[in-house]
Amino acid sequence: MKNLMLVLFASGLFACTNSRNYAQAVVALVDVSGTYADQKPDVVNVIKRGILPKLMPGDSLYVIRIDDESYKKDNIEADLNLDVRPSRANAQKLAFARKLQDFANRPQRARHTDIRGAMMLGAEYLKETGAATRTMVVFSDMEEDLPKGVKRDLAADEFAGMRVLAMNVKKLSADNANPTAYRARLAGWKQQVTSHGAKEFQVVLEPDRLDELLDRR
Amino acid sequence: MESLYLWPANPAASLLVLAILAQVFLYAARHPMHRAFAALGRLLSGGFRVAARFCKSVSTAIAQRDREMLADAGKGDAEARIAREFRRIEGTYSKELARYPDLHRRMDEVTAKIDADYKECSTATPTPPGWAEATAAVAKMEGSGDRVVHKLLEEIHRTAKDAEKKALSEVRETNSKRHKILSGMAPMWKELKNLVVESGRSVTKALESTKRIDGYMESYEKIRKSEPKAIRAVGWASTQLFVVSLLVLAIAMGGAFVNFNLIALPMSELVPSGSRIGGMPVSTVAALVVVLMEIAAGIFAMEMLGVTSFFPKLENLPASRRRMILVVSLGGLVLLAGIECSLAVLREQIVASATALKSALAGAADHTVADPASSRIPVVGQAVLGFILPFILAMVAVPLETLIATGGHIALSIATGLFLVSGTLSRLLAQGARHGAEALRHGYDILIVIPLQIERIVQSNMGKGEREGREGRAALRPQTEGRR
Repeated sequence: MKNLMLVLFASGLFACTNSRNYAQAVVALVDVSGTYADQKPDVVNVIKRGILPKLMPGDSLYVIRIDDESYKKDNIEADLNLDVRPSRANAQKLAFARKLQDFANRPQRARHTDIRGAMMLGAEYLKETGAATRTMVVFSDMEEDLPKGVKRDLAADEFAGMRVLAMNVKKLSADNANPTAYRARLAGWKQQVTSHGAKEFQVVLEPDRLDELLDRR
Repeated sequence: MESLYLWPANPAASLLVLAILAQVFLYAARHPMHRAFAALGRLLSGGFRVAARFCKSVSTAIAQRDREMLADAGKGDAEARIAREFRRIEGTYSKELARYPDLHRRMDEVTAKIDADYKECSTATPTPPGWAEATAAVAKMEGSGDRVVHKLLEEIHRTAKDAEKKALSEVRETNSKRHKILSGMAPMWKELKNLVVESGRSVTKALESTKRIDGYMESYEKIRKSEPKAIRAVGWASTQLFVVSLLVLAIAMGGAFVNFNLIALPMSELVPSGSRIGGMPVSTVAALVVVLMEIAAGIFAMEMLGVTSFFPKLENLPASRRRMILVVSLGGLVLLAGIECSLAVLREQIVASATALKSALAGAADHTVADPASSRIPVVGQAVLGFILPFILAMVAVPLETLIATGGHIALSIATGLFLVSGTLSRLLAQGARHGAEALRHGYDILIVIPLQIERIVQSNMGKGEREGREGRAALRPQTEGRR
């Protein structure tokens, strides 16, 4: 009888699992360089309508700006760790949405595009959350342009256990002229990201598709 | 295939040679193969027959067990019915018998009174004295002319007349008194009649109960003797009860589902919704536990009310303790109903807040799109549902008990049916295996039909030769014998 009680207690302990095992963490990288800076309000709308409502109590969301040198803590525009109580989480979401709106309204344009720096920063935050599902959404044309002297070498397990979704809100005029170059660029990113541990790299064209992908935990 | 060709350049010849070789080989192996087919047929058919016998014996044993169980259940049921009837009779009798001394006393009093009145009436009435004849006789006496005699006679006549008048008045008075007594007896007779009717009604009731008990005893006897008809009746009643309780339980489960959904969302405000147990959020598990606790409280309440009897140990508790448990379980039920009611209100607030958030995120100008104050109907409806559903769920104990009690019969019946079907299938397979082996033997012979035909021709020729030889020898034998 005593053994049975012990077994039941142990199984109960194992059955109770940490909330982190089911939590989701999302990092949204927003490009504010060149012509892409004009798309900022649209990107913020996508985050507010597509990502924010999908988050559940216990989930996390970080918005990181892609500019000249993105591997800085200052590049984090807004961060959110949702409370376990739904009412409190709703209030946090509202406050976060207001922060994002401020970010969208702020005029900003960077001369260079440090995508990898933002990705490295985002990956560090994603790892820190310890969430079971880690997703990085990159809102950019994926055309990297590092300033002189800036070096970005990705670690072998930089994106270990992460999904990277590339969402191009606006294509460059050069891409419209030569889509093959655009596709080759994306293929290059896919190769680079997956070779550094990412579970998958996917290009998302429609914001509705983003909802589906985030639902797939 | 081509690797088997003897002459790859000439596949037809190769195939022909291979076919001839195969025919020769198959012909040579004919008898062992026939024996192998027969053995296979015997093996399979024997195995299936054994399985069929096993299934039949198991199904018979299960059916027997089912009958015993039904007989036990039927006996228990009949005993309970008889006991209940006896309790009713006991109650009736104790009530009637308690009233009986009073009734008896009243009847006694009335009878005594009637008796006394009757006696009073029956006392001999004073007969009117024969004054009339005396007066007439005196009146008819002729006067002798003597004045004294005449005066005497007149006096006697007057006295006689007075006495007659007095006697008549006395008789009339007595008769009037008797009539009064007799008329006073009428309500007593009525009362006596009512008392008799009352006692007659009680006796009729007792007789009806006795008749019912007779009926129950008769069915009890039949069940005790395990009469097939009685057992079938018990089985059918059991099946009916099972179906009805299953239906009621399914409806109750629907109620439990609604109840669960009503409190699952607001429960996340009370318990950490992030943690999980076995993959389920703790808030969901908590909501489920609350629903189950309501059912458990309902089971205990029903048990203490004597509606169900899940726990025999609780039945033996003293009445005071039973009352205490009843109060605790009913109190718990009311408490849980109150919690659910408040959670239902909270749920409405959370939904309103989520709607406001969605509209805010969508960029709507007015963030308070869903104004709960505009309509209180959903809140009130949810609160009422949240309060009522626990009590409805508490009733689930009754069909649950019936389901468990009748489930054994259903399970055994299904098992009996399954084993019977398996037995029949096994018998069919045994028959099939036997005929299949025969068919295989014939099929094998079809494959080597050419060598078999050759064999037949050869045998017939050989037989013909032998017959001719025998006939020849037989023809020669008499001649030889004749010479001898």
